[in-house]
Amino acid sequence: MEKVICRIKRYDGVKEWYQEYDLPYEKGKTILWALTKIREELDPTLTFSSGCRHAICGSCAVRVNGNAFLACKTSLDHLLSTFETHRLTFEPLNNFKVIRDLVVDWKPKFEKMKEVKPWLIPSKDGDKSNGFRQSAKDFHKISSPTDCILCGVCASECNQLSLNQDEYLDPFILNKAYRFAVDSRDAAPEEHIRPILENGLWKCFHCMQCVSKCPKEIDLASENAYLRQATMNMGERANKGARHAYAFVEDVKNKGRLNEVTLPLKTEGFINTMSRIPFAFRLIKKGKINPFHLPKAVEGIQEVRKIYEFAQGEKES
Amino acid sequence: MRYGFFPGCTLESAAKELMLSTKKVASALGIELVELKGWTCCGASHIQDVDDFLATSINARNIALAEQLNAPLLTVCNTCTLMLRTAKQKLDQNDELKAKVNQGLDKIGLQYKGTIEVTHFLWVLIKDYGLSRLKKKVKRPLEGLKIANFYGCHILQPPHIMGFENHLNPKAMEMVAEVLGAESVEFDQRLACCGFHAVFPAEKEVMKLTGINCLSSKKAGADCIVTPCPLCQMQLDMYQPDAQKDVREDITIPVLHLPQLVGLALGFEPNELGIQRHIVDAIPLLKKRLVLV
Repeated sequence: MEKVICRIKRYDGVKEWYQEYDLPYEKGKTILWALTKIREELDPTLTFSSGCRHAICGSCAVRVNGNAFLACKTSLDHLLSTFETHRLTFEPLNNFKVIRDLVVDWKPKFEKMKEVKPWLIPSKDGDKSNGFRQSAKDFHKISSPTDCILCGVCASECNQLSLNQDEYLDPFILNKAYRFAVDSRDAAPEEHIRPILENGLWKCFHCMQCVSKCPKEIDLASENAYLRQATMNMGERANKGARHAYAFVEDVKNKGRLNEVTLPLKTEGFINTMSRIPFAFRLIKKGKINPFHLPKAVEGIQEVRKIYEFAQGEKES
Repeated sequence: MRYGFFPGCTLESAAKELMLSTKKVASALGIELVELKGWTCCGASHIQDVDDFLATSINARNIALAEQLNAPLLTVCNTCTLMLRTAKQKLDQNDELKAKVNQGLDKIGLQYKGTIEVTHFLWVLIKDYGLSRLKKKVKRPLEGLKIANFYGCHILQPPHIMGFENHLNPKAMEMVAEVLGAESVEFDQRLACCGFHAVFPAEKEVMKLTGINCLSSKKAGADCIVTPCPLCQMQLDMYQPDAQKDVREDITIPVLHLPQLVGLALGFEPNELGIQRHIVDAIPLLKKRLVLV
């Protein structure tokens, strides 16, 4: 390969266009190298943001061939071999307002983040002059979520956010809420968690894009599961998401398998389920569901229930 | 070739045609599927929202049942694969958790050992069975059939748990399609999410996504969508009339399960593969493209 063609989405505040730049191929370079070389040698008007060059500041995230990456951390060779091409398309992060070229506006995101009180609400176990003591075990609870560098990759990849900017919080905001909610020094976890519940917590698609693309490998999906559990422990079970999750738990305990006929009833209640009658008839007509079918318990259901008892005991201990 | 078979709940209810087609195709290929006795729901990405230890434990039981068969565990559902592999990875990487889960399993005479793999039908076709062997079994090449391969998130992501192929640019579906003689179309939503897991709490967004996914496939010139996941199939097929309500253009496109596509190439008739059970009728299209009677 002699050259790499970089096709970059440009935006000058008014109009958008794609512009191509040819770079000589050099082994072992990063995306950020390519962008810097273009700006320094080919086009000084190309605008992008970058700071530390060491995957710490999070400012250089961009999309390449439809996927968000941290530019300073991502090898150009990796992308060229992944997409089997010498032509790469650069675009600004998705789900952000674009300021110019590849630079996005973080201000609205930071405003949104304030919802979850992304700061420590100190407990009485410490103070400014004496500090706080934290066990190694408690520190490990926050060591991964505090790795977040606010690069915005997770937000760019979030499927729910792409369809719903107003009623859903960005994954990095959920991470921030989690980070303080599980901090042993924080006195008010509910103050971080409740705003998440009120802003579409259960609307997550479970697509795993955030956890798959995070350059810091933060397990955002498990953090979200924790947040959902926490809301239920706060007594917030009268919503579709919580009822849906409980329907699975109950069905497996009762019969071992999901009952797809009763699932909408358990999730949405009787009145809402009535609005699904046309949908149900559509399925019945094709033989996809049988409303009169009562699933039998699986072989070994007593054993399954013993596992439930054991798990319950572990939860309480 | 012998596998412990984990059908997953949908194959016993809304996706019975996938049970039918999987068994027919496996039998025709000489793949022995031994259904696990007493398997339970994998949790479908929801049980961990209530109790993650419980979610791991029930899947440890499922895997332990397959270990008794001493055969790899095969699924035909992306989410079942992800849930089982997630439990397996947690148990294999955390001795403390494994010991605790085994305390529970011990009460019912089972032990999770970590001796078998959890795999998906798509991966088995490529890795275990082999594409050249599959090609030799093709009786009715699917020439003239243009398909949109819709992977579904959970067969690819997260890569540290799934990891069969590069999650940013997978090829498995296209490789199988090519061997069967079908033509794969390029479309924007090839690796998109179907939204199935949030269809109740986020119905508005999920319907919009269904419209986008169907329209993208259709505009790319596909005759039908093919997916290795029954949940994606249900979302894109069963909810298509609902998704249509908010889209001005016609989004109608049939959606097939992967084993149904393989079955057609092996010479089975659409009705033998349960294709008549889909909400969007695929049979007129198949008759036209594959010159069926």
